[in-house]
Amino acid sequence: MSELSSDLPCGDITTSVGGTITGVNSTLLRWLGRSHAPTRFQDLLNIVGKIYYETHLVPHLTVGEHIEEVALDLLHADGSSVPVLLNAQVLRASTGQVESIRYAVFPARERRRFERELIAARREADQANRKLSELNLTLEERVKHEVAERLKTEAALRQAQKMEALGQLTGGVAHDFNNLLTVVLGGLDSVSRFLENTEVTAESARARRATNMGLQGARSAAALTHRLLAFARQQPLDPKPIEVNRVVASMSELLRRTLGESIALETVLGGGLWNTEADESQLQNAILNLAVNARDAMPKGGLLTIETANTALDERYVSSLALSVPAGQYVCITVTDTGFGMDAETLERVFEPFFTTKEAGKGTGLGLSQVYGFVRQSGGHVKLYSEIASGTSVKIYLPRFTGTEKKDPISTPFVAVAPSRGESVLVVEDEPLVREHAIHALEELGYRVHEAANATLALEALQRDPAISILFTDLVLPGGVHGEELAARARALRPELRVLFTTGYARNSMVHQQRLPANARFLSKPYTLDELARELRRLIEGTELLS
Amino acid sequence: MTKAETLSRFNVRVIGTNGPTLMLAHGFGCDQSMWRYVVPAFQDTHRIVLFDYIGHGKADATDFDVERYSTLRAYSEDVLSICRALDLVNVQFVGHSVSATIGILAAIEEPERFDRLVLVGPSPCYINDDAYHGGFTRSQLDELLGFLEENPLGWSQTMAPAIMGNQDRPALAQELEASFCRTDPRVAKSFARATFLTDHRADLQRLRKPSLILQCSQDVIAPQSVGDYMHDQLRDSTLVTLQATGHCPHLSAPDETIAAIRAYLQDDGRPHH
Repeated sequence: MSELSSDLPCGDITTSVGGTITGVNSTLLRWLGRSHAPTRFQDLLNIVGKIYYETHLVPHLTVGEHIEEVALDLLHADGSSVPVLLNAQVLRASTGQVESIRYAVFPARERRRFERELIAARREADQANRKLSELNLTLEERVKHEVAERLKTEAALRQAQKMEALGQLTGGVAHDFNNLLTVVLGGLDSVSRFLENTEVTAESARARRATNMGLQGARSAAALTHRLLAFARQQPLDPKPIEVNRVVASMSELLRRTLGESIALETVLGGGLWNTEADESQLQNAILNLAVNARDAMPKGGLLTIETANTALDERYVSSLALSVPAGQYVCITVTDTGFGMDAETLERVFEPFFTTKEAGKGTGLGLSQVYGFVRQSGGHVKLYSEIASGTSVKIYLPRFTGTEKKDPISTPFVAVAPSRGESVLVVEDEPLVREHAIHALEELGYRVHEAANATLALEALQRDPAISILFTDLVLPGGVHGEELAARARALRPELRVLFTTGYARNSMVHQQRLPANARFLSKPYTLDELARELRRLIEGTELLS
Repeated sequence: MTKAETLSRFNVRVIGTNGPTLMLAHGFGCDQSMWRYVVPAFQDTHRIVLFDYIGHGKADATDFDVERYSTLRAYSEDVLSICRALDLVNVQFVGHSVSATIGILAAIEEPERFDRLVLVGPSPCYINDDAYHGGFTRSQLDELLGFLEENPLGWSQTMAPAIMGNQDRPALAQELEASFCRTDPRVAKSFARATFLTDHRADLQRLRKPSLILQCSQDVIAPQSVGDYMHDQLRDSTLVTLQATGHCPHLSAPDETIAAIRAYLQDDGRPHH
């Protein structure tokens, strides 16, 4: 070993081709904490290095001439690792066989540290990239999902707004018609009475027939406007606590007649069914409407099932509805048929008034719109499911009533028209034609009539004339004070005053403002003279107390 | 894969046209260029077939199926597909290191293709067992595999020294180019696992062909105990212990290696110790 080599600031080591160390400088020995070299180069290597030496280093050196910058760990005498970089050069004999290998050894601790940091940084970057692309993927999904939800909500809202608009339009038209019909009916009624007192001649018989036809037509028109008002949620409801099971059971005869021979009827009435508060006759009407639709969907026969059950509508469900109802407990009435069902397009429009899938002349297209209006007005929710060739299922949800059920008053039997005993009636109605008609009708019945066009004038009239014992008022009046309030104030003035309300156009379609006071009597427009007379007698002679 | 595709995929080279087929299979960490000193010795008497395993040397590494290549069987299947592509029969197969095991598996699978095997520094199993001394403990091999996992910048990458072309060496008929011993890092990891962690001792008994075991002195990878074990298990085997040390006698002591191989190939095949 030359003197020069021992001053070299790098390791200098020579081996035979088999690895036997033939020379080493003091620098390397110092780095490795050794006083002398081991027998073979491999002895300076850990297990990994040994394998590398045999499988990579030796082949490379023996095939090539030199290697550069090979990273290895050498073993310090104390067992620790000394990271180094190697350059190696082979020296060959004249035969070409490798005679010896010369290594230059450089310390590489810092460099090894950098390498490790670089690898770690690269791994982190890869991971971050992967996470990012995963996020991107789900982002697309999430956006797609959000957009779909948004579109669904918007569609539902549009539908609800459409129904609202239809309701307003229908209600407006129906109200105006009602007022006019009242006049028409009244007029024809008068003619009819007159004819009754005339001699029966060919002409009078003709006139009588014509009048009857007119009356029938007017009555049909009245029925029609009622149904429109039902859709517009502006019909007067008389909600009472009812047992739905009892209502359904009481309809079985009627339903069987309606459905006919070829359709089987099955009722599944839930046990322990809660009460609900609703107008019983309108509920019957709604069920009947559904039964008729079901019958028409099963021309070759089938099965109609009516089920009742207690159910709950949770927050999530109600918030998904365009026109929501409060979450809570509901009584659910399900009417299911096995008919030909409806497609998606039909389903979208099925509650619209006058929309029908039946041929002209078969059905007015008002049935479902009435059901819709009634249920909504009663604070409930209606949902329709249908599949072509499978059938349709309509679910009506009505809120649970938790108060005590009052017994239904036994309906008073029909009372023949009794004339008045000359009582004084105050008519309050803002429409002049309608007011005039009412006045004439009352006068015909023999009542003494006072009139007022609004609540203020009505109260003045009451104060002026103490003989007024009956208040006959429209529910909706101009000037901000409506019929209910007028009645309350009037009774404050005159406690024994009897009140008969008549329906009119309600500006606000909310249930609570439509609801009549308990025990209130009302007469819906248009009314005939008979109906007016009957109601007044019941009012005057009825045993119900007005408080 | 068509025949042409197979030959291209594994960088198959055929040198010489006379005589029986001599197939040279490289071992872990290198490629066919490790046979460069052996080839000249046999190219006039044999038809030499050289190739690179997948991901080694110039062989293709695209679509490397990690699952498939987790066992040595996959590599032996590749060897057989090369044989099929060249319609090889009576192959004299020389396998270094792990290629010895690969050759044994191939010869068990399709014995009709092979005449005899030459196994250079072979080992069927590297892990020490109760009575068996494979040379390594499990933790030592885990250290190796962990090291490969880290993929330090250096090992199995562009290690290639420029091959200067020694003036004293005879020119080779087919040039072995300068991309020496490059291994795809993914493949290196996988091949290392397949090589060092699998146990093929049970397969030795199934070989029905004669074989030569060339055992090196002081080979840390295939120690003497392993050579003895293999000689015991291979029914028709010859064991020759070389003077050469280390794991690559065909590189560090090519003359001795060539002589031993030649002697065996010229023999009529009767086993002797």
